[in-house]
Amino acid sequence: MRHFTEEELIAYQLHETADEQAIHRHLESCSECAALSDSIAETLRVFSADPVPEPDLDRNWQRLRGNLSVLTPESRRGWTHILAWPAAGLATAALVVLAFIGIHAHISAKPNFAVNGHGPLTTQPVDPAIAKHIDAAERLLTEVNNTQGPLDNVTRDQTRALLLTNAVYVRQARSSGDLAEASVLENLGRVLTTLDNEPPTHESAWRLRIEMNTNGLLFDLRVLRQNDTQPQHPGPTQALTQGLTQ
Amino acid sequence: MDKAETEAIRKVLTGDRDAYRVLMDRHFCSVYRVAFRITGNEADAEEAAQEAFLRAYNKLPSFRQDSAFSTWITRIAMNTAINLVERRNRDLSYHAPRIADEPSPDGITVTVAATSKQSPESVLLDSEAASLRRAAMDTLTPMERTAFTLRHMEDLPIAEIAAALNVPANSAKQAVFRAVGKLRRSLAPLAGGVQ
Repeated sequence: MRHFTEEELIAYQLHETADEQAIHRHLESCSECAALSDSIAETLRVFSADPVPEPDLDRNWQRLRGNLSVLTPESRRGWTHILAWPAAGLATAALVVLAFIGIHAHISAKPNFAVNGHGPLTTQPVDPAIAKHIDAAERLLTEVNNTQGPLDNVTRDQTRALLLTNAVYVRQARSSGDLAEASVLENLGRVLTTLDNEPPTHESAWRLRIEMNTNGLLFDLRVLRQNDTQPQHPGPTQALTQGLTQ
Repeated sequence: MDKAETEAIRKVLTGDRDAYRVLMDRHFCSVYRVAFRITGNEADAEEAAQEAFLRAYNKLPSFRQDSAFSTWITRIAMNTAINLVERRNRDLSYHAPRIADEPSPDGITVTVAATSKQSPESVLLDSEAASLRRAAMDTLTPMERTAFTLRHMEDLPIAEIAAALNVPANSAKQAVFRAVGKLRRSLAPLAGGVQ
């Protein structure tokens, strides 16, 4: 006589088995399987549904409502969204072609000593305090870039503090002749100023994020930070960019 | 989805936050119920249900209204509750004994309050049984606990549980079976040994 497994008997007790009749007949003649089946039934009985307390709807609504932002209608999705992906693909392809042309034109051009100074495209060491400042700016911009809705007060305070220190570092970079770094920091200053004066609405935050994505400031900051934190040995990006500028 | 819910969603999407109350009134209790089954206590169930409704609200612009809001919110609530249980399991301090805010006066002992209908012995036995059940449930993984409670206590079909957990139906079924097996073995010492 084939005995049923625990799993088969659990399925039987939960009415999840196809051959319920066969198991039922077997249990009538097999005391061993019947005992196991009873034990499973007892377990299910012990863990039968306890009453669920009633939640306080009003209190929960009041708590929830305080966290609800006002939603705006989704942008109109007409026939134009069908063309969005092909258009994006074409735009990307065009950008790749332009970048390719730009790189080749850049290689054949004479070296740009202004850019090949102490800035993001070099391996020259710089002040570690600037590295710390750039790191903080990068973290802030990344956070703003990944956050929805208006900026909170903490982010605004950080922005203001960074804006003040940034002005010092811009002047320092200019006076030391580091034009590339000064240029990136000036760009950072512009974005920080926009952030600092940003009115608390969704649209302006969104526009700002787009602007940050478009002008590649985050990328510049990352390259700049890499220079600041790894001054001894040129990394692959630095070696590549150095090669391109020569 | 009926007209009132469709209308409520339309209003919410045009900036009327209070219209969300319609959806909350209709579904909060069932969502809370599911969350309670998964988390096992009122405070966490309330937190999970609230979070589920908040997440659903924020995702409402992308909600495809060809499916039922109730199915959608239940699915979100299950995931939220499972995540909460996993978070609690990682946070060891959450299970540590709490120290009372105010010290007890000297000579005062904690007494088990008996209700007018139950004797102190019966209250004690009930609380002991409840703590054994809780300990047995704690041996289950969040997935097993969810699958078991929803199948056995809420009587939801395996297909629905599997869809909510985003696993194949067979995995959900196996999770239920594993859970029952574990619970049976946890209780076996009381019944005189595992068979």
